[in-house]
Amino acid sequence: MLTKKITRQELLIIAASRQIQNGDVSILGIGLPIIAGAVAKKTHAPEAVLMMESGICDFEPRVLPMHVADASATRGYGYATDLFSVFSTITYAGYLDKAFLGVGQIDKFGNINTSYLGTPPEAPRISAAGGAPEFYGYAKKTILTMKGGQFVNKLPYLTSPGYLGGGSEREDSGRYTPGSGPSILLTPKGIFKFDEETKEMYLDALFPGVPVETVKADVPWDLKVADNLGSFPVPTDEEIKALREFSPRASFSSPVAVQLVFENFKRRIAAKKAAQKAAQK
Amino acid sequence: MSDKSGSKVMTTKEAISKFVNDGDSLITGNYNESMPMSLLFEIIRQKKRGLTYYSQSGSFDGEFMAYSGCMEKMVSAFIYKWGGSKRGGIIEQYQRAGKIQVEDYTNFTYNARLAAGAFGYSYLPVLPAIMDSDVFKIRGFMGDKKFGVTTCPFTGKKTPVVPAANPDVCVLHVQRADKFGNAQHWGGLGSTVHACLASKIIIVSCEEIVEPDIIKSSPHHTIVPGFRVSAVIEEPFGCHPFEIVGFRGLDTAMFSLINQAFKIDGGMDAFFDEWIYGLSDRASYIQHYIEVFGQDMLSRYNARSYYSAPANYGIPFQSGWDINGISNDIGVDMEGLEALIAEKGELVDVN
Repeated sequence: MLTKKITRQELLIIAASRQIQNGDVSILGIGLPIIAGAVAKKTHAPEAVLMMESGICDFEPRVLPMHVADASATRGYGYATDLFSVFSTITYAGYLDKAFLGVGQIDKFGNINTSYLGTPPEAPRISAAGGAPEFYGYAKKTILTMKGGQFVNKLPYLTSPGYLGGGSEREDSGRYTPGSGPSILLTPKGIFKFDEETKEMYLDALFPGVPVETVKADVPWDLKVADNLGSFPVPTDEEIKALREFSPRASFSSPVAVQLVFENFKRRIAAKKAAQKAAQK
Repeated sequence: MSDKSGSKVMTTKEAISKFVNDGDSLITGNYNESMPMSLLFEIIRQKKRGLTYYSQSGSFDGEFMAYSGCMEKMVSAFIYKWGGSKRGGIIEQYQRAGKIQVEDYTNFTYNARLAAGAFGYSYLPVLPAIMDSDVFKIRGFMGDKKFGVTTCPFTGKKTPVVPAANPDVCVLHVQRADKFGNAQHWGGLGSTVHACLASKIIIVSCEEIVEPDIIKSSPHHTIVPGFRVSAVIEEPFGCHPFEIVGFRGLDTAMFSLINQAFKIDGGMDAFFDEWIYGLSDRASYIQHYIEVFGQDMLSRYNARSYYSAPANYGIPFQSGWDINGISNDIGVDMEGLEALIAEKGELVDVN
């Protein structure tokens, strides 16, 4: 049941959170994935094993981490290992159920660019590969999220291979965990899935209030649309409470959140100065 | 005897001037957390030049090393644009302008190069998905030697490999170490252990230098053995504004200031003058922080203790003799042993 007012950002987080099942071994990146994981762990998936690639495994999300080795995730975690082990003994060895990856640019077969908008060294940078190519290659399922990214026909730089040229190309190459690859893409406009045969991306559900045409306008190819378009899952009060307890700022868009944090910081400094003045008198 | 025996306690200034040379390859051991900022600031102050800098994680250390002019080449797996999407990152700007060269790896392949280096191998297999990525196909200054492909002698499968990396110097910040350099660190280790053990010289700064007894009772926390370490520096707040488990959290106030410096014209010069060139060492840095932000702000990030359950390393006998002076296995005292030796030993005359 939902009785609270919720924001667009919250709806997207809850949609991601629902992708984690109880008992899943999941790797979480900074930002939306970690918040989604925290909500899942506090609600429907208390036995989910949440990990970050620095080797902090089976942790209890308490405070929003700023990076994947953040000390705030080390109060009470079950398995202290390292990055090499996360990728080898856990991921490549076949024990990683879910990976969450952020997208810069994506093509119709789920190949991803997070590196350069062209050919280096002259091209502008997006960021870089991080852990994405290997998690994408060997997690049993990958959940993609894209905020402010782009759909493109041809990636100028392919950082993390998805279904390559589509069809069975990924499977046939023998380089990936069988059955792996992107299972879903979540954006502030819709939910996308991949056709079982062709591996081509299609629109599966619409964000509330967003028409199909708006989604299609972002996509440079003729986007296929599911016969029965679904909708985003409706959050429960319990989920929204868990989300806000974990990260109050996650309810806002990132510029607004940054502004709110900055204003709080300014108030704090002003209060300190006022107290100093009062003490001098 | 190893040239790395005995006490290695010295100052940050001494360690950097003694062990970091122009043209060296330098690696930051820490992964995102507990970054060795005091050591890096000193490298910047001493104006080391032509460094090849290894840093995995996209923290502002790489941006600082580029902006300072210390760094000529960079090896990384993640680069964050600290100037934001409009202004871009310093590494990004310098790379595009040809002022520095950057070689991009993934987190795993970056780590695998260090693992190979640490194990003494010349290369190490990496995960085959990389062969479909432009990280594999597009080469920077490593050229043909960025990745290779070999054939597994057992399965016949084509296997991508990376060459070993053995940086000249590793800088590392940890919770505690003894004077010999046995360094203990806990938290998100990332590729820290491989980064250290792959390197020829390891410089350790720590929150506190402790007695060797502390190390011996908690060896599972030792990530680098003393015999590999060249310098130990007791440097409280050596990783500030980064966090270190058990001491303090990430200082968001200082991070805000640094974020601002990246985003305004002249911000970086002003920051470098005020916080790096204008201060001689870490103690004066912290003093300056207290003047600017106040002691309350600094204390706000102090960790609330949460102790690990002690592991019991106890054993039944502390020597070949029990507490009553009776041999554990033969069942006699020392006098009894000597009598037995005279009676049953194969005596030899050495005089």
